[in-house]
Amino acid sequence: MARQQGLFALILALAIAAGAVLFSFPLQLGLDLRGGSQLTLQVLPAGAIKTVKREQLEAVKEVLDRRVNGLGVAESTLQTIGDDQLVLQLPGEQDPSRAAKVFGTTALLEFRAQKAGTEREMQGLLRLKRQAQSVLDLSRRRTPADQAQPTLPGQPAAPAPSFPPEDLTKVLAELGVTVPAGAGETEQIEALLDEVNKRVVALYEPAVLTGKDLVTAGRQQQQTGTGWDVTLNFNRQGGEGFAKLTQSIAGSNRLLGIVLDGRSISEASVSQEFAAAGITGGSASITGNFSAEEARDLEVQLRGGSLPLPVKIIEVRTVGPLLGAENIRTSLVAALAGLALVAVFMVVVYRLPGAVAVVALSLYALFNLATYALIPVTLTLPGIAGFILSIGMAVDANVLIFERVKEELRSGNTLIRSIDGGFSLAFTSILDGHVTGLISCIALFALGTGLVKGFAVTLGIGLLLSLFTALSCTRVLLRLMMSYPTLRRPTYFLPSRQLPSPVA
Amino acid sequence: MTSSPASSESAASALPPIQYFRITRHRHIAWWGSAVACLISLIGIALCWLNPAIGAPLKPGLDFTGGTRIQMERACGSNCPAITVPQVGEQLAGLKLPGDAGAPAPGLQGSPVQVLDQGRSIELRLPSLSAEQGNAVIKQLAGSLGPFKPGGTSVDTIGPSLGSQLLRSSILSLLVSFAAIALYITLRYDRVFAFLAILCLAHDVLITTGLFAWLGLLLGIEVDSLFAVALITVAGYSVNDTVVVFDRIREQKSSLSAFPFSDQVDVAVDATLTRSLYTSLTTLLPLLGILFFGGSSLFWFSVALTAGISVGSWSSIGVAPTLLPLFSGKGFAGAAAEDGSAPAGAS
Repeated sequence: MARQQGLFALILALAIAAGAVLFSFPLQLGLDLRGGSQLTLQVLPAGAIKTVKREQLEAVKEVLDRRVNGLGVAESTLQTIGDDQLVLQLPGEQDPSRAAKVFGTTALLEFRAQKAGTEREMQGLLRLKRQAQSVLDLSRRRTPADQAQPTLPGQPAAPAPSFPPEDLTKVLAELGVTVPAGAGETEQIEALLDEVNKRVVALYEPAVLTGKDLVTAGRQQQQTGTGWDVTLNFNRQGGEGFAKLTQSIAGSNRLLGIVLDGRSISEASVSQEFAAAGITGGSASITGNFSAEEARDLEVQLRGGSLPLPVKIIEVRTVGPLLGAENIRTSLVAALAGLALVAVFMVVVYRLPGAVAVVALSLYALFNLATYALIPVTLTLPGIAGFILSIGMAVDANVLIFERVKEELRSGNTLIRSIDGGFSLAFTSILDGHVTGLISCIALFALGTGLVKGFAVTLGIGLLLSLFTALSCTRVLLRLMMSYPTLRRPTYFLPSRQLPSPVA
Repeated sequence: MTSSPASSESAASALPPIQYFRITRHRHIAWWGSAVACLISLIGIALCWLNPAIGAPLKPGLDFTGGTRIQMERACGSNCPAITVPQVGEQLAGLKLPGDAGAPAPGLQGSPVQVLDQGRSIELRLPSLSAEQGNAVIKQLAGSLGPFKPGGTSVDTIGPSLGSQLLRSSILSLLVSFAAIALYITLRYDRVFAFLAILCLAHDVLITTGLFAWLGLLLGIEVDSLFAVALITVAGYSVNDTVVVFDRIREQKSSLSAFPFSDQVDVAVDATLTRSLYTSLTTLLPLLGILFFGGSSLFWFSVALTAGISVGSWSSIGVAPTLLPLFSGKGFAGAAAEDGSAPAGAS
């Protein structure tokens, strides 16, 4: 009796502790419950690297971490999965396209000098580029702006931003660009711009200076106009390289190209005055007439450094907060309905022990939630399904025990002996059932991905805890009740007509 | 219910009273029932496989094929202007999407469209889109079909490479968990018991799979990675159920050793019948909660579990125990006496 009370006190203490844990550590909700975006990235092998290994994944993660922090989304997390995947979670973010853009680029920045003798070709291309760019800008209702011609004084003013259809078709044909049939004007111009940028890059010498030598990047608003510039600061080596590069083309008609991920984003001429020593001081700016957001994204990418390996976005999931709240509501209703159905069933079929089992089950639910908060387990929809299913499995154990108790009672055993017999005889079945369940969970956790893992974790925790609550909580509560003579009646367990003979 | 008093119609002299029925006398019905169910399942799977539109044993969902699913809720409350699937399809075909990294945007004509909740929400199944393209779809459709509730949209994009990876990992985890469960059962029980438990597992998984093959053929229901999870859970549960009966047979072996083996099986099944039914029922009750209140994302998952656990309960009562005398080489008591004729079942 004293032992039962001691154990009961222990269970009570555990319950209070679980409540306290839940109170101080809130449950972590997955993005499908709270709304937000999740991106899965695959790191691709490139160059000499044939398979992506752990250390390369870490190197990619380090760069991406800096970019994520630059994005300024609160509570964003970046985790590695396996050997070649990364998962980025952006709670509350409903538009993942910016993150996708910042992530998808390797941000390989190159400074390249124009090849000698290509001046005429370059001018033609740049004229096309300006025209296409300004038409695009206009159609996007942004400030019309040349892509980059800041240090080229004496250029003719940009022509009125329009592109007669017949000219466009002709130019496209000349450049050998094929556009899908039915493509609109914007798409055709985009295709043109792509091709032009590719051809511009082809006119440059190989890179002698890359983003590797950058110390930091920043952004500033242009003193004239509404655009933004991105500023660059090189280390000593980079500064020297930049000076040498600018010196080599100063005063000539050759341009300095700034190439990002194989696209020419800025072309600038270097005037005669730098012919002596080049542009020294170790700093430069990309005057690309960027919008504030573009400048910020570029700055983030440059500051984060270039990715050692390219990445590909293989999964994007976005859930609106309203849908998330709806998911919480429905799963809460489902869980409560399931619990209520089970509770009614248990009390109707098993009477007093059934009621005890319901109490034990409530404790079980409480312990489960506290465990989720402690570990912590991020709750997702499949995770909640696993939890609800584990309730069913937890009741299973009680059913096995109580059926055994009933049998023992029917065959004429005393109440206390029947209870003890029920628990010990049902044990092997309960153990087998739980072990097979746990085997499934381990397989799912080890081999599954994302959502599947969530299910395996909650079901697995549930199975472990149900071994504890069914075998100890129910038993202790039942034994404690049996210490009160008024409750010690077999009819509280079984209808009297099933009893072999009235028990004294 | 247990409250119905035992009619004590026991034939054997000292055999414990049979409360419900003698399962081995109904074995032919049980076997035929299961055989027919398995056959129908196999036919469903075969039809799915031969169907040119599916070409796989089950209709693979977004998880496995890759693609983009967009769900939008319209912000018009109860008086939404009516909307039809062809209308949405027409709008989709006219969309202009930005290209992605040089590659042109995929065409959206003929993509599957669903209009749910009396026109209040729309679900699209599209080829794999970039994040930017997905947003463009929502923005452009909002003009003609919207406005949409801010925060009421969801976009899921699974790249084709991830799709095949998910499929691989699902199949692998299915195989590994089946093998691990089989191994555990073989270690805990003797060979015949283990063999039958695994046979039952295969039976339950096959029928659940068959059901979804037919659902895929008739209603276009697709299977996703959660379906694989459901199958693995069903497998664990099936073994759990079967083991309860086998445990009992093993336990009473010595006390009933004087009786024919099929009588021992009858007694064990009869004694554990309420247990078997109740344990399945207590698992089914919470599942019913998910089925009715859990929302659309978990609906087919809980259908698969409900079906699998019900079948598992059946096989642990009707299939595994009745096959036991056959496989353990002990035969059926009085098999000659009641052979062929429909047995007069006890109450």
